[in-house]
Amino acid sequence: MTVGPARARRRTGPLASEARWAWFFLAPTILGLVLLSAGPILATLAISLTSWDLLQAPRLVGLQNFVDLLGDDRFLHALRNTVFYTVTSVPLGLALALGLALALNRTIRGIAWIRTAYFLPVVTSTVAISLVWAWIYSPEQGILNQVLGLFGVPAQRWISDPFWAMPAIVVMAVWQGLGTNVIIFLAGLQAIPEEYYDAAQVDGAGRWGRFRHVTLPMLTPSIFFTGILSLIGSFQVFDQVYVLARPGRPTEATTTVVYFIYENGFRNFKMGYASAASWVLFMIVALLTALYFRSQSRWVHYG
Amino acid sequence: MDQASALATLAPRRRPRRRPWARIGRRTIVYALLIAGGLLMMGPFLWMMATSLKTRAEVFGSPPLSLPSGAHWENYARMWDALPFSTFFFNSVKLALLNTAGQLVSSSMAAFAFATLQFRFKGPLFGILLATLIIPFQVVLVPNFILYRILPHPLSSSGNWINTHEPLWVGAWLGGAFGTFLLRQFFLTIPRELADAARVDGANPLRIFWHVYLPLARPALATLAIFTFMWTWNDLIDPLIYLRDTELQTVTVGLSLFKGQFVGKWPEMMAGALVSLLPMIVLFVIAQKHFVRGITLSGLKG
Repeated sequence: MTVGPARARRRTGPLASEARWAWFFLAPTILGLVLLSAGPILATLAISLTSWDLLQAPRLVGLQNFVDLLGDDRFLHALRNTVFYTVTSVPLGLALALGLALALNRTIRGIAWIRTAYFLPVVTSTVAISLVWAWIYSPEQGILNQVLGLFGVPAQRWISDPFWAMPAIVVMAVWQGLGTNVIIFLAGLQAIPEEYYDAAQVDGAGRWGRFRHVTLPMLTPSIFFTGILSLIGSFQVFDQVYVLARPGRPTEATTTVVYFIYENGFRNFKMGYASAASWVLFMIVALLTALYFRSQSRWVHYG
Repeated sequence: MDQASALATLAPRRRPRRRPWARIGRRTIVYALLIAGGLLMMGPFLWMMATSLKTRAEVFGSPPLSLPSGAHWENYARMWDALPFSTFFFNSVKLALLNTAGQLVSSSMAAFAFATLQFRFKGPLFGILLATLIIPFQVVLVPNFILYRILPHPLSSSGNWINTHEPLWVGAWLGGAFGTFLLRQFFLTIPRELADAARVDGANPLRIFWHVYLPLARPALATLAIFTFMWTWNDLIDPLIYLRDTELQTVTVGLSLFKGQFVGKWPEMMAGALVSLLPMIVLFVIAQKHFVRGITLSGLKG
């Protein structure tokens, strides 16, 4: 058989019709990729090289926006706060969820109810949750100060205290996100074959030995997965600071990179400047994700 | 099932009965810790509920852990009247339904193509789609805003899509990495023989998609529907950016306005927060297993 006829048949035969059907099914997705997600990544880069207020035509300014970002205190504060949020909330969230999943991974009575309690914050909006926590953290009659007062701890201003503001937001976010990680860990725990524990038992492994040499290695794919979710999510923190800072705007102690993008792009209509900040955010997340994936071979066990 | 029964038969051998009291003690501690933790997780909700029924004098006068003196439902009436909440609810429901429908249609179509059809660039295209999962969506806010500002809109006063609901739901009809990935994984578990049999009978891919794959994928579709509904309902930044008129706002944005309007009026604010949560809590209670499945399968936001 020669190539020619095969090709000709391909253009008209069943495979060609299958390909046409494929493009039909994919048309909305491709349009979305070009217009709304993958395409705009490049558009962000292009816009970041301009000065553009939407009223006048964009003006090419080269890398000036990036230079300005480096000298902008508000951006540097936003970056510092976001990094603080990431390096605290991600490990804390993972460690707590792991402990909880281990405790919840048993068939005892009422366990379904307890699991539901842990999962409820996940489905509720961050805005509603931030309102409740604003009340919990309230300096006047907030329950946190009241409870701490019972132990003789003096009242704190929490959200309006530059030192406590970010830790307070981290605690709230960890509380809210715990359920997601717990569910992924529980699924991971239940997928560990019972024989592995039996084998460890035969080898004389104790409680700790079984955890260290069976549970933990077998759970690394789940830990890897929740890690990447938490990492990417942690760079998107916005709703919490938006609500907690109202009325007004987040101070230098609580502003974040996404808030910075929102403020510059959609309050001040500095499209080029907001795009430059977006691109910096994208590069940070892409770089960390790449590094994280590269670390995979060293600590994640598959199979 | 097998593992559970294996566990049951193996349990006595694995844990020798030498010290039953140690076991009971340990179990009690685990229980106590779990219940304490559960209360800590539920605490803010319980406190929200209690505060929403108190008078303002009670909130500031009595110890915070005390119960309300009576059910002061007038807090709910005051919060409902302070802002056009009926309108907010209507807008949120409308947007959540439009987004859910759009995601179900467009993601299932793409997932069907990736799972069952052969075509050029299939691998690279799927790779690009998955890569968009790791892009924080805020990175593309500016170009999206500019796109919707260019698109003409016959009914909008500005002539473009800004300050209309359209930017908040049209994109959902153009696919999404989360839904496509979730449904593709599910479609791959459907035996190919079913589709082959239909093809022999002369069915085209559209009929196979509609009559074979979609009916079988109901659990996965339910999972995607619930997640999309939840994300739309809870979304803050998109309505903030695109909507200006108060009567176009959603419940979530409306709630965020409270913090500025009701300074110190915690009972009203908690009443508002509780009302805004109700639809999600009801959905969660009736569809808990779909939430769990969705998170376990891929737990990603698209």
